Amino acid sequence: MFRYVLKTLWRHRTRTLLTVTGAAVAMFVFCFVGSVQEGLHRLTTGSDADRNLIVFQENRFCPTSSRLPEDYERVIAEIPGVRDVMPIQVWTNNCRASLDIVVFNGADPKQIQQTRPLKLTSGDWQQFQSTRDAAIVGRNVAQRRGLKVGDQFTIGEISVRVAGVFESNVPSEENLIYTSLQFLQYTRGLDAAGLVTQHEVMLTDTADPDRVASAIDQKLRAGAVATKTRRKGAFQASTLSDLVDLIGFAHWLGYACVALVLSLVATTTVMSVQDRIKEYAVLQTVGVRPLRAMRLVLAESTILCVVGGVAGTALALTALGFGGFAIGAEGATIAFRPSLGLAATGTVVSVVVGVLAGFIPAIQAATVPIVSALRQA
Amino acid sequence: MALVELRGVCKSFRKGDETITPLDEVDLDIEAGDFVSLMGPSGTGKSTLLNLVSGIDRPDAGTIRVAGTEVTKLSRGKLADWRAANLGYIFQTHNLIPVLTAYENVELPTLLLKMTSSQRRQRVELALEAVGLSDRADHYPRQLSGGQEQRVGIARAIVAHPKVVVADEPTGSLDTETSEQVQVLLQRLNKELDITLLMVTHDTDAAKIASRQLVLDRGMFREVGLDETSTVSNA
Repeated sequence: MFRYVLKTLWRHRTRTLLTVTGAAVAMFVFCFVGSVQEGLHRLTTGSDADRNLIVFQENRFCPTSSRLPEDYERVIAEIPGVRDVMPIQVWTNNCRASLDIVVFNGADPKQIQQTRPLKLTSGDWQQFQSTRDAAIVGRNVAQRRGLKVGDQFTIGEISVRVAGVFESNVPSEENLIYTSLQFLQYTRGLDAAGLVTQHEVMLTDTADPDRVASAIDQKLRAGAVATKTRRKGAFQASTLSDLVDLIGFAHWLGYACVALVLSLVATTTVMSVQDRIKEYAVLQTVGVRPLRAMRLVLAESTILCVVGGVAGTALALTALGFGGFAIGAEGATIAFRPSLGLAATGTVVSVVVGVLAGFIPAIQAATVPIVSALRQA
Repeated sequence: MALVELRGVCKSFRKGDETITPLDEVDLDIEAGDFVSLMGPSGTGKSTLLNLVSGIDRPDAGTIRVAGTEVTKLSRGKLADWRAANLGYIFQTHNLIPVLTAYENVELPTLLLKMTSSQRRQRVELALEAVGLSDRADHYPRQLSGGQEQRVGIARAIVAHPKVVVADEPTGSLDTETSEQVQVLLQRLNKELDITLLMVTHDTDAAKIASRQLVLDRGMFREVGLDETSTVSNA
C-alpha cells in the first residue's frame, strides 16, 4: 500500500515539489533561528561561562572604554578561590551589533595555550609564542575571511600574520583572534601600555564564583579604577543584552516557520484527499479499513513534510557548518554552529508536523460516505 | 441455509421533505453458485440492495446474512475486513486506481489478506489470465480500453476468491461488442469457477445470461423467465 502513496505523490509531482520546497525553506529558517538560540545558550551556560569571572571597569560596556591596570592581576591572584588570572586586551572593529565582527584578544601566549580550550588545526604554538605580530585565528573567522596559516591579515590599525587556526569546544572562542598582550597594547591608536580591557579569572574547584566576584570588587574599590566582576556567562549576556532581546523574540519566527509548514502541508493534503475522495471510497469497498485509509493519508503528509523538512534542515546545517556565521557586539560574539541537537529537532519537528498536517484529511478519508462518494462523476 | 439471506430489509431516503422507501420489508435468498440478475425500473432500489448486501450501506431495519455472517451487525472496520475476504465488487465505471498498473489494481485486495508474496503473485496472475489480460499487466488504466478496464475490475473482484461477487451494471458504460465480451466472461466465471454473482442491470441481454432473473418493483421481488425479461426492462 506504501507504493500507492508514493505513486500518488509522483502523479501530482508539481504540487509535491512545491510543497516539499516550501517545507524545506521554512525548516531552513527554523534551523537558523534554532542555531542562534543554541549559540546564545552555549555562550551563557557551561563550565567556561559559569566557573570563569570577568573583571571589567565599572559602568563601562564597550571594550574600548574599559581600561584596567594590568597589575590588578597580582591583587586578584591573592584572593582565596582564584586559581589563575589572565589580563586581556580586547580590540574590535565594531562595538555595535554586526554579522562580521572581528575581535582580537591580546594575552600571554603561554597562558592562552594553558588555560583556553583551544586546539590548533593548523600552524603551531611555537611560532605564535615567538613572533611578535603572530596571531592564532578561530575557525569561524578563518572560514568567514578565508584565512590560512602564513596569511597577513590587516584590519584597521592592526596587522597580524596567521600562525595557526584553532577550533574549540566553546563555539564563541572560534570567533576570536588571539595575539600576544604586548602586541595589542602597543598597537597604534590603542596606547594601552600597562593597561588591559579585562581580567579573566579562573577559579579553584571549590570556590563560589559570586563570593569571589564580590571579594575582587571589594578589594579593588580602593584602586585607581573601580571594577565590576561577573561570571563570564552573565558578563557576555549583559554585553549582548540588546541582541539577547532580539534573539528571544526571534524564537517566535521559528514557531511561525513551523506553523507555515503545518498549513502548507495540511492544505496540500486536504486538496489531495478531496480530489481523490472517490478513490478512498473504492479502497474501502475493496476492503481497506478506515484506519488503514487514515494511515495512507498520514503517510502522504508525513512524507511531504519529512522530505522537505530534512532537506531544509540538512541545507541549514551545511550552510552553518561551512559559513562560519556569527553575530556579535561590544567584543562578545554568538557563534551559529550546526549540531546534532538541531538535526534531531529539525527531523522530529518535520515528523510531528507531517502527522498533524495529515490528521484532518486522514479523518475525511477514513469517514468518507462510501455510497455517495462512489456516485461522484 | 442460503448463501445470501435478506429478511425484512427496509431502507428509506430523505429527498427534500419527501421520504422515499425503495426497500420495504424485503426478503431474498440466493444460493451458492447462483448467478442472479436484478432488474427493475430506475429508483426501485436495485443498487441500494447491492450496496446493502456488500455492506457499504446499512439498512434501516431487517437482517442481511452473507455466508453465515450477519453483516448488519458488523462495525465499519470489521465490515471492511469482511469485504476483503468474502466479497468482490464490480463497478459500472470500473473505478480502477489510476496511479496503479493493471497488475497492482488486481493485487490490491490480496494485500489486505494474509498470504505469502508468491501466493499473491500466483493469484493475481491467475485472475488476469481468467479475464484474458495477462499481456496488459503493466499497463495503467489510461492505457486500457473501456472493456479492458472493466475486465481488470472483474479480475480485482475475483482475485481474493470471494464467496459473493456483486456487479452494479457492469456493462452499463460499454459498447455492444465489449458488453457481450464481459457478459461471456461473467458467465464463464460463474460456471467454471463457481462464483456466486448478483448483478444489477438495465441490459436485457446481460440479464439473460444469469441463471435467475429477478425484478424489483415497488419493494417486491418477482422471479421472471427469459421471455419476460425484455418486457421488464422496458417497464
